[in-house]
Amino acid sequence: MTETTILAAYGLLVLLTILLQVLGGMQQLSLGYLMSSRDETRTVSGMTARLERALANSITAMALFAPAILILVVLDRTSSASLLAAQVFLIARIIYLPVYAFGIPAVRTLVWLAGFAATVVLYFLAL
Amino acid sequence: MGPELTVLILAALLQVVTFAIYAIPANLELGMGYTLSARDREPTRQMSERTARLGRALNNMFEALILFGIAALVIQTTNQSTPDTAALAWVSLAARIAYIPAYAYGLCPGRSLIWAVGFGATVLMLIAALF
Repeated sequence: MTETTILAAYGLLVLLTILLQVLGGMQQLSLGYLMSSRDETRTVSGMTARLERALANSITAMALFAPAILILVVLDRTSSASLLAAQVFLIARIIYLPVYAFGIPAVRTLVWLAGFAATVVLYFLAL
Repeated sequence: MGPELTVLILAALLQVVTFAIYAIPANLELGMGYTLSARDREPTRQMSERTARLGRALNNMFEALILFGIAALVIQTTNQSTPDTAALAWVSLAARIAYIPAYAYGLCPGRSLIWAVGFGATVLMLIAALF
């Protein structure tokens, strides 16, 4: 796996998160509401709400991770260190999704931190 | 420049256009006094239904744009562009353009179907980028 395939794999993970969150919304809000223009605000609860928050966090993480990877690739500065950091990021975010979905405290914060730290490392390697 | 990157630039410009067609009516309806403030309180005046829909469409487009951006840039930097990935990129863009009026006019289930087309095209692009 290279940094770019890891980035593509993370994109697929975020798409999976969107899909799971939509499936949860179908159960709680009905398909009719989801397909409407949602002019009245309805909220979800439980696992679907956690998936919604996990998705918001994944988008933030992606907006930071993607530029770091692309800078490294474009500048030809990839190394074993950047590959390791990207792998740590991906593994942390793969664990993050079920951990958040099932509401496991502490572990979620720890894996979030691992992903965050890996992103910081990538920016230092890119500089 | 590959076709995926051309589409990416157009998609970013579409984001700017969408921002404008949301922000202009939102400012008129909520009042500049509110929009220029720190927005510590809820606005006293309500946005119209259509403007609120444009706001939700804009939020959704940010998610779609960042995923599409990754797909397009990975395909380009790894030289994996094919006529298929180029076609998928154009399909994604067409879906996102159609998504805006579909949301503004409350098309049901058209909006969801259009969203699914854009989503599916991005998934296929990312899978193509992976292999």
